[in-house]
Amino acid sequence: MDPMTFSIIRHRLFRIVDEAVITLKHVSGSAITNEGHDLMVSLYRADGTLLMGGVGFLHHLTSAAEACKAIIRRFQGQIGEADVYLLNDPYTAALHTSDIYLVAPIHHEGRLVAWSACFVHVTDIGAMNPGGFAPQAVDIYSEGFSSPGLKLLDRGEMRQDVLDTILNMVRSPEMVSLDLRSMIACCNVARDRMSALLTKYTAPVVDEACAALVEQSETLFRARLRALPDGQWQSRQYLDVQGETARVVLTMTKTDDRLVFDFTGSDPQSRHSINCTKWAALGGLFAPLFPLLCYDITWNEGVIRPVTMIAPEGSIVNCTRPAPVSVATVGAIQSVNNAACTTIGKMLAASPEYRDQATAVWHANHFAIFKFGANQRGGYSIGILTETFAGAGGARSFADGVDIGGEIPNPISRMANVETVEGAFPIRYLFRRRAPDSGGPGRYRGGTGGEMAIVQHRAPAGGIDYVISGKGARHPMSEGLAGGYPGAPNSYVWVHADAEAAPGSADRLETIPGTPEPVSWGVYPLRGQDALYVRWNGGGGYGDPIARDPAAVAADVTSGVVSARAAAEIYGVALAPDGGADSAATVALRGAIRTARLAVPEAAE
Amino acid sequence: MQKQDSPPLSYLVATDVGGTCTDTIVFGSDGGIHIGKALSTPPDFAHGVLASIQSAATPMGLTLDDLLARTHLFVHGSTVVDNAVLTRDGARTGLITTLGFEDTLHVTRGAYGRWAGLTEGQMKHPVKTDRAAPLVAREAVVGVAERVDCFGDVVTPLDEAAVTAAVRHLVQDKGVEAIAVSFLWSFLNPAHEARVREIIEQVAPGTYVTLSSDIAPVPGEYERGSTAVINAYAGRITRDYLTDLASQLSARGYAGATMVMQGYGGLLPAAEAADRAVGMIECGPAAGVIGAKFLGDLMGDADVIAADMGGTTFKVGVIQGGQLEYAREPMVDRFHYIAPKIEVVSIGAGGGSIVAVDPVTRLPSVGPRSAGARPGPVCYGQGGHEATLTDVMLLIGYMDPDQFLGGAITLDRAGAAAAVASQVAEPLGLDPTAAAIGIYRIACAQITDLIREITVERGLDPRDFVLHAFGGTCGMLAAAFGEELSVRRVIIPYTASVNCAFGLISADVAHEYTTTRTLGTATPAAEVNAIFAGMEARARAQLLAEGIEPHRQRMEWSVDLRYCRQVHEVTTQVHAAAPLDTAGLARLVDDFEALYERKFGKGSAYREAGIEMTAFRLTARGLMPRPKLPVEEEGPADPSAALMGRRPILDLTSGGMAVGQIYNFTLLRPGNEVPGPAVIHTPITTIALHTGHRARMDRWRNIVVTTDAPHIDA
Repeated sequence: MDPMTFSIIRHRLFRIVDEAVITLKHVSGSAITNEGHDLMVSLYRADGTLLMGGVGFLHHLTSAAEACKAIIRRFQGQIGEADVYLLNDPYTAALHTSDIYLVAPIHHEGRLVAWSACFVHVTDIGAMNPGGFAPQAVDIYSEGFSSPGLKLLDRGEMRQDVLDTILNMVRSPEMVSLDLRSMIACCNVARDRMSALLTKYTAPVVDEACAALVEQSETLFRARLRALPDGQWQSRQYLDVQGETARVVLTMTKTDDRLVFDFTGSDPQSRHSINCTKWAALGGLFAPLFPLLCYDITWNEGVIRPVTMIAPEGSIVNCTRPAPVSVATVGAIQSVNNAACTTIGKMLAASPEYRDQATAVWHANHFAIFKFGANQRGGYSIGILTETFAGAGGARSFADGVDIGGEIPNPISRMANVETVEGAFPIRYLFRRRAPDSGGPGRYRGGTGGEMAIVQHRAPAGGIDYVISGKGARHPMSEGLAGGYPGAPNSYVWVHADAEAAPGSADRLETIPGTPEPVSWGVYPLRGQDALYVRWNGGGGYGDPIARDPAAVAADVTSGVVSARAAAEIYGVALAPDGGADSAATVALRGAIRTARLAVPEAAE
Repeated sequence: MQKQDSPPLSYLVATDVGGTCTDTIVFGSDGGIHIGKALSTPPDFAHGVLASIQSAATPMGLTLDDLLARTHLFVHGSTVVDNAVLTRDGARTGLITTLGFEDTLHVTRGAYGRWAGLTEGQMKHPVKTDRAAPLVAREAVVGVAERVDCFGDVVTPLDEAAVTAAVRHLVQDKGVEAIAVSFLWSFLNPAHEARVREIIEQVAPGTYVTLSSDIAPVPGEYERGSTAVINAYAGRITRDYLTDLASQLSARGYAGATMVMQGYGGLLPAAEAADRAVGMIECGPAAGVIGAKFLGDLMGDADVIAADMGGTTFKVGVIQGGQLEYAREPMVDRFHYIAPKIEVVSIGAGGGSIVAVDPVTRLPSVGPRSAGARPGPVCYGQGGHEATLTDVMLLIGYMDPDQFLGGAITLDRAGAAAAVASQVAEPLGLDPTAAAIGIYRIACAQITDLIREITVERGLDPRDFVLHAFGGTCGMLAAAFGEELSVRRVIIPYTASVNCAFGLISADVAHEYTTTRTLGTATPAAEVNAIFAGMEARARAQLLAEGIEPHRQRMEWSVDLRYCRQVHEVTTQVHAAAPLDTAGLARLVDDFEALYERKFGKGSAYREAGIEMTAFRLTARGLMPRPKLPVEEEGPADPSAALMGRRPILDLTSGGMAVGQIYNFTLLRPGNEVPGPAVIHTPITTIALHTGHRARMDRWRNIVVTTDAPHIDA
């Protein structure tokens, strides 16, 4: 087809997604959507296959395609113009119940020609714990409202009985209503703009361009795969929760222009809500694949075709009903994200041409903490601690990871200002900063994670409560690459205040007066003078830490993100009295580390 | 327009320093308009300012000193602050902040500072993204014990000994020349920051200090601190620059006042502007929007899209109902700051933009890479070898190879054709003309998409707007993309080449004051009035001190409101008479609700949660006399006296090259009408018209393009 028209239609599809995202954020005024960018909007072809994926939480692009297909199957023959469908059942297509998909057909001259789909993490879904993540859930039935597909708008008209039924089952119906309205507005914009495009260029021309776009992505992606070395790469992720460790094992095999992701060997499904369904696992491996391998290729069905997933049924990455999954997005799905990032990174690092695209794992472990309670202004507040979106960049083959730099599956998140949180909740931060020694050591250091502590402050009810789905405090999860070390694990500590001890201006965990107790899973209070301390993981390192430029290590020590002890023991860098690296002593230290390594017999694995 | 000067004649001189050119416009008290242009001369911008004024004076038959001696007011805008930040040429700066939050500036609210300011293509490639190199080294950030809470109450008193030690450390050990101070909640209770200033003045007198509570007294510690840092970083350069310029002007005999343009489109006396460096960021583009607003007001158009396209960027601002739009999250380089700033959105698309075919996707594209002024487009023959949009314009007949810059250089058509053929046409399997036409369509589509984005995003419909086209490249595209957007009219103003300078002389003095406080809408009106009364008292004293008498003072109230538990705040003008009564306050809330739905879409209002006021803003204006533009009588429509010839040009309406008529702008007379396909060559640009377009020169010598075709396929 005419390359100029093709280029213009492609750009316009891109803009349609962009405009729909803006609309969604505008209408939903919520922090999780606007700060966390915990959302997704994409366009799909008439058969539900992905046409144009937007920048959002990327593990939704393929799951929403499955949602479109599920709606097509269920409503075949009854799909009307301006209908809007809702789907949030994880065993049908969704990731977990609180990430609601709205799926809307786009018609032109009476014919169904495309779909738009979007999601937001709604404020509440009626699960046993507020906020959507339900650490105490024992099965899908305790995780709130879930639908394998229902018609929410019939030819543009809201089905009020259906809406009222949903709102009747959630804790914060006004906020959920607004969440749904934001998605409806988003569907409307996508449909209007697509209609304009179809009118201007005609349906056959647009359809030809869409087909060409999918074909182009497939051609380009297969060519890229052929340019990469054939081989097999592995990653193991250890996910601990409540003292139990679940393993996600991934073997990625690249042959010619095909990729197979095989999760054989992963642990059976857990009794905790960290499991994910197979559609979620598929989304989880594509989330890093799109930006790592297809950064210059349109994200659509063409990228999906060369990829096969094998996920054993009944495992933690393909659980069977009624296993609970409400923590999946920050549980097994995130482990899949990490494992895929690692296997792809290993493959890229094995290619001289693509080595500069390789990255160690970024932010490997969300800590989902929803705080709720009466606020200092006479109202009630509920919301996520947005620091969970702040993340940490993995080290790259040419540079350190970005400190508190976000994550790959959701490339454009951000966290709220301290003043924003303190204005909305009766809490006060004691500190919030980069966490020392959290970035995975390496020739290039992983970006640091962060650490923070909060206390209640002038709370009318004496405090607030929080739901925590914190896992990963035992094993590091952000793997290093090419000899780099992993980033430090998460840490969650409830500091019980001693009688009359005030936290004052404590600026480290160690200086908060009281008795620390690790917490991770469930609902807890934050009252009196007690403090909640959270440290989140750093990114993985790249390359051997004893190959790191000693001056860079010394600079890290000066700025407080690497301790002198880590500098000596891990990086083999001795510091001079002026804070710079002592080169002679460093050579000696590194020599000793090499000798010690060589003395170790061949590793058991 | 030149006249015999007589002694009482006096002048208003306005000079805008842009990235490439320094433009001057001189208004005589006789109504005469004179234009000057010189290259900008970073970092010594004053040199270019004098050269630019000189270049306006010479054709007037005046020396620089003569002109300045007769100048009663000098209005100025400059890119000095943007330049200092972009080239990292500012002061060595330190930051004193609340203990425990020393990383706030560098951590940039997580990934935000890593992706903000990037293109969507770059955002999709996170492995290749990093934060911008910071203006303050992390080692030059010191935390001191102190804490204020969300009510403005002190939780932990300021540790003054720690402050003294911090200042010594920063100045003596780190060698800083400027210190920014930013504490949590300081906008509610600035006492701790104020005390730090006193200590700095004792311990290290002469250090440049910026307090966050002074420069940006609003919530959001990351953005507020970043604002303080930028201001401290560029502060001394700005002050020295304005002081130096004033002394150079006065050495040349200028005895009047100097007013400096701010990013929000108002003027400040130079002495005040000198301490608010952040205010000057992007003041040139802001002036451009102000100029468009002035012309819009003059021509009776309240809704204007102001588009400026030069060599490297396409910039666009929007005026709706006579109101300006302000940026929500302004940035300079890739640093966030908080200051009222007119929203001007840009993309890397200009005459120098390189046109290429992506080797991976094989998609043709325009920009964002630019050949700049050097080596420039291939056709300039200055060594450029990558095809640019300007080369394409030459190939589709919009530029005359022999008449460029008045014939100063002969454009190399063969070179341009060869470059487009090998770099664009061959990879796509097209013939060079088809490739050039395609590139033109893509440039139109990109601009159309951008304008649609920034209008629709705010709930605006481009069909309600008039489009003003400024800059050297815009005229070649404006009629085409204006039609695709279905704007009412496209206007290429007579002053298009010096629009930013023109904007300077159409601005008022304006001071912006903000008080941050969260109040429910049931708050008694008297409480709101008291907040404004305090700000007004300060504002009136300030304006009076600047010589602006009460009858030229205007006080405009606005309030930021939001739905509780929502993040979007909307600045809503107070339309009711001040002081407010209960009905006036109710009207404010109604206006907010209407505005919110317009901006964020139907159904977005979340009334169930209630509404609260979060900030109270006062704009205190000192009205400046407006220049009177000369008006000419409109004559007959026949443009044949300006017809220079005919040649093949791109006519989008017919889809290919067609014979078009070529007109000389300087020979056109008001009332003349030119039908498309045609081009009009002006001294700085070309106006391209397609079949169905009609251009008329109006009584101010603006070119007004209307269309009778319903549709052009771009």
